Amino acid sequence: MLTEGMKLPDATFPVVTDDGPQTVKLSERLNGRRVVIFAVPGAFTPTCDSAHLPSFVRTADAFRQKGIDEIICISVNDPHVMRYWGRLTGTADAGISMFADAGADFTREIGMDYSNPDRGMLNRSRRYAMLVEDGVVTRLHLEELTGVCEISGGEALLAAI
Amino acid sequence: MTISVGGKLPEATFVKMGAEGPESISLGSLLAGRKVVLFALPGAYTGPCSTSHIPSFIRTADAFRAKGVAEIICVSVNDPFVLKAWGEATGATAAGITLLGDADGSYTKELKMDFTAPHLGLIGRSSRYALVLEGGVITHANIDEPGVCDISTGEALLATL
Repeated sequence: MLTEGMKLPDATFPVVTDDGPQTVKLSERLNGRRVVIFAVPGAFTPTCDSAHLPSFVRTADAFRQKGIDEIICISVNDPHVMRYWGRLTGTADAGISMFADAGADFTREIGMDYSNPDRGMLNRSRRYAMLVEDGVVTRLHLEELTGVCEISGGEALLAAI
Repeated sequence: MTISVGGKLPEATFVKMGAEGPESISLGSLLAGRKVVLFALPGAYTGPCSTSHIPSFIRTADAFRAKGVAEIICVSVNDPFVLKAWGEATGATAAGITLLGDADGSYTKELKMDFTAPHLGLIGRSSRYALVLEGGVITHANIDEPGVCDISTGEALLATL
């Protein structure tokens, strides 16, 4: 279960680029760096679109001014969906990396998975935001309720670091 | 169970986006007593699906209706939020095509049409096929090899009617 002080497990995420499919290794993005990671239940879902993702688009520059090297959004979607969603929501322009946990392996390994079959959401990620320093979670904002984006929003994490 | 002319499809419950949010819908209720076109593809926003497969059914939707087809259904292993956004972005929704999510992939697996391509971030997705069903019985079946969009297009299926 994801907690402060925890070293994140390594993971490999598929990414679709103009040059075709590639993979990124999470540890290579985290080692020796200060990184903000936030996770959402799914691309194009209402709370993500209307509140969570925009809050990090708004605060991306402020995070960088605080010495954050990278901002990463993780969702259990495929990289094709993540790519289009990133373009539509402005995360690509804001410099936010969109990582697809396509098989939900990372999300399950850190105990953040949940399912809501009635809404067609299987093995998705709970909503959280965290500061990760050299691969270790140093600040965790985990949302307790579904459909809510408060402490996991960009402004709330920014205020805490 | 495999797809064959004269055979039937497995009973399945899909999710679709309704006016009030995601809704469950049984495949049997859509097929009973009607002539229906059903096609499946690997995923919303994936290259060939967006650029050739779904447009081929948008182009031919009226021609299918002129041949007595009551509904044109697209099935994909996606959630209803992604399908709604994709349907609007591609024009499929405006063309009257019904987008149904096999959210957990169980229907696709039962049909033995599932494939996995981890480097593309596609896990348990559907190969392409296009069917005509009358009263739930498959009368025409055009099945493509994985990665190919050829005989499962709207024009190719239309030509068999």
